Amino acid sequence: MQLRRFRTTTALAATAALLLTACGGVGDDGGDDQTFIFGVPNLPRSLDPIFANDGETFRVTRQVFDTLLDHESGGNEMVGGLAETWDVSDDGLTWTFNLRDGVEFHDGETLDAAAVCANFDRWMNLPEPFHNTTVAYYYNNLFGSFTDGESSTGNDFLVGCSADGLTVTIQLKETSANFPGAFSMATTAILSPGSLEQIDDGAFTGIDDGLPDYTQDVTGILAGTGPFQLDSWNHAQDELTLTRFDDYWGDPAGVSRIVFKAYDDETALKQALEASEIHGYDLVAPAHVAELEAAGFQVPTRGVFNILYLAFQQETDEQLADLEVRQALAAAVDRQNIVDSLLPEGGVVATQFMPDTVAGHSDNVTTYSYDPDAARPVLEGRTMEFCWPTNVSRPYMPSPRDIFESIKADLEAVGVTVQEKPMEWANYIPAAASGECPLYILGWTGDFNEGYNFLGTWFANHTDEFGMNRDDIFAVMQRAAREGDPDARAALLAEASEMIMDELPGLPISSSPPSIVFSAEVNPPNVSPLTQEKFDEVSFR
Amino acid sequence: MVRYVVTRLLQLIPTLFGLSVLLFIWVRALPGGPDTALLPENATAADRERLRQDLGLNDPIWVQYAAFLARLAQLDFGHTLRGRAVSTELAERFPATIELAFVAMLIAVVVGIPLGYLAARNRGRFLDVSAVGGSLIGICTPVFFLAFILKEIFAVRLGWLPSSSRLTPGTSYTDITGLRVVDGIITGEFHVAWDAVVHLILPALALASIPLAVVTRMTRASVMETLGEDFVRTAESKGLTARVIQFRHVLRNAMLPVVTAIGLLTGALLAGAVLTESVFAFGGIGSFLFQATQSRDYAAIMGTVLLIATVFVVVNLVVDLLYTVLDPRVTVDR
Repeated sequence: MQLRRFRTTTALAATAALLLTACGGVGDDGGDDQTFIFGVPNLPRSLDPIFANDGETFRVTRQVFDTLLDHESGGNEMVGGLAETWDVSDDGLTWTFNLRDGVEFHDGETLDAAAVCANFDRWMNLPEPFHNTTVAYYYNNLFGSFTDGESSTGNDFLVGCSADGLTVTIQLKETSANFPGAFSMATTAILSPGSLEQIDDGAFTGIDDGLPDYTQDVTGILAGTGPFQLDSWNHAQDELTLTRFDDYWGDPAGVSRIVFKAYDDETALKQALEASEIHGYDLVAPAHVAELEAAGFQVPTRGVFNILYLAFQQETDEQLADLEVRQALAAAVDRQNIVDSLLPEGGVVATQFMPDTVAGHSDNVTTYSYDPDAARPVLEGRTMEFCWPTNVSRPYMPSPRDIFESIKADLEAVGVTVQEKPMEWANYIPAAASGECPLYILGWTGDFNEGYNFLGTWFANHTDEFGMNRDDIFAVMQRAAREGDPDARAALLAEASEMIMDELPGLPISSSPPSIVFSAEVNPPNVSPLTQEKFDEVSFR
Repeated sequence: MVRYVVTRLLQLIPTLFGLSVLLFIWVRALPGGPDTALLPENATAADRERLRQDLGLNDPIWVQYAAFLARLAQLDFGHTLRGRAVSTELAERFPATIELAFVAMLIAVVVGIPLGYLAARNRGRFLDVSAVGGSLIGICTPVFFLAFILKEIFAVRLGWLPSSSRLTPGTSYTDITGLRVVDGIITGEFHVAWDAVVHLILPALALASIPLAVVTRMTRASVMETLGEDFVRTAESKGLTARVIQFRHVLRNAMLPVVTAIGLLTGALLAGAVLTESVFAFGGIGSFLFQATQSRDYAAIMGTVLLIATVFVVVNLVVDLLYTVLDPRVTVDR
């Protein structure tokens, strides 16, 4: 009797173990499905790119919608997107785009110049709730033109769009450093005319009532021309699924489906990858890179396209208004140590507020080498408040705590008493933007290959982030902003960069490539310095 | 009985009202705001100010609260920062939390009560010492740490169980109740039901750790106390069998404080679900609350906490009613 019971128990346990083992991960699905599962920290804020301004939204919408211009696969040079070729008039005000022939939207409509202009017309005719950065951040900053009313940004660059077969002509009122980059921004992706007919922008009453339903669920309204089309969005499971678009104008996607699955933290992403539940994720913690590589995962190195800096708010802390103090702080921080020990491989010490791959980078800026002995006489005995963000990882700053601790140790080594002020990210950014933090670490990843997209982010005019009052620098930046000739603009930006590094409103620390990881079973896409990977390049080995 | 239940449910209204006032003040006192979630890092202070204006966050707090109450009166919890109705999000996600909390409590009760009983019956022996020591470890170990260890061992190293999600990502299924195991059985999609079961094991074990420890210790203490009662000796002197004495007299009487503890633990379970669901990417209201707190999504925080509070009160009402079943001397009409 007892033996029989033992046998039964053993058989049940063995069956359970087999079933548990068989539950497996994504690698066990077999070859037919070809579902590529990518772990993300957030799902899109909106499926309609005009409402979006964040990288995780654009990571998804870029697979579905195309823009007139694009960046080369794995690089930051501008190439054709929906436009095969393009040209600009000598005055920089008339942009002509020659569209690809035979491009189809996911809803069966055909791309032509009229379809592109329908999108520009939609943006220009957006009603009042859209006329500010709350709802349509990038459109207001890049174009800002509305037929009825003005943008809160004061921008008004666009005259209109005219169509002739496959030729689109965009007329601008004035030149801007944002062109042609603006035509490559994911927020200006081209939707099908059929989609635009179904979207009722007039019904949108404002952000306090939430975004329209079609931006939050796959309703069949939104159709683009990308290699994947929207399939489903399971909010309860935090999963968004795209399926391959077989009539895509480029090479067909290497996988039949992509599932974007959201996880709340990087450790959970790493464990899901190791357990073969996902095929990859972005923004790997530097401490995990070597471990994952040793375990056989692929961690391709991106080019650098970001800046991490230590800001000196000159108006909040009087000490920081003194150039000698700012220079001493620059000499006190061992940036090479941060790059070598805390940032992903491929990182470099930054000499100015833009990476060296961007036009406008100057080789003649004042540089500051690590020299604690020179810094000590100026800084010894001083007390400074230093803000840093908790529980967050950014592409330019994968581990803020470690970077803060390193800088803090450097400052303490030259006699500075550091008053630590850790803040949650939701509190940190507003505090930094409003000038509450004398010292803080922050950064920026470029939207497109344009030096003004870096320098203009901080130094186009006085901001509370830095509290810098240098009208001469602002004047050069304003000239650069309106300069249509790329070479002349680069020269102005180089001049501004040199002035900025003399003024030293902050210390550029590094440009570093954020790490992205893939399982061994996939052929990864070309990794992009702008973090704009094209997942149609993914395939299974 | 009916009058009692109705009275208790009516008491829920002032309770939730008071909670909503405190919660409303508390979430708005949190440093920072939703602008970090809605605007890019290079947004200007003016952009941020405009956003606060558009969201009505610059209005006096009583004006904001009145607007909240007006919506709540229509059972409208507002919208998340993404723009979806909070009530829709909660309706879609709550079944996940119910499923997880139910299984965790099931583990706590099914394992904890027999273990506590056996520990009491074997006082001072190896089983008792192990149960007491194990329950201490269970209470002391942070849920997120236990979750990490369980995932590392059973998902990453051994590959026996999935490390996250309610189902394998990309799985197609028919949704009826939102409870994946139940739906899988109802619809005959047994592979979905099985997938849901294996995905439940690790998060449920992690979430059950504290309730299991508490139930074990409470049962042990209560059984030991009951064993010394006069009615047990009376039952023995009447010649009742040991089985009848242990189950009808000892265990039944010992269950009263345990049931109370289970009621209170439900609240702890829902609070624990915030971390557990987040670590396991489980997608219930715990994950939702975690994300809402990170992004200062006020409407989502309010709606989720009020739902948890309602569930807590209702569960405790059910526990009070259970008293009458366990102990006929207890009446609810008094």
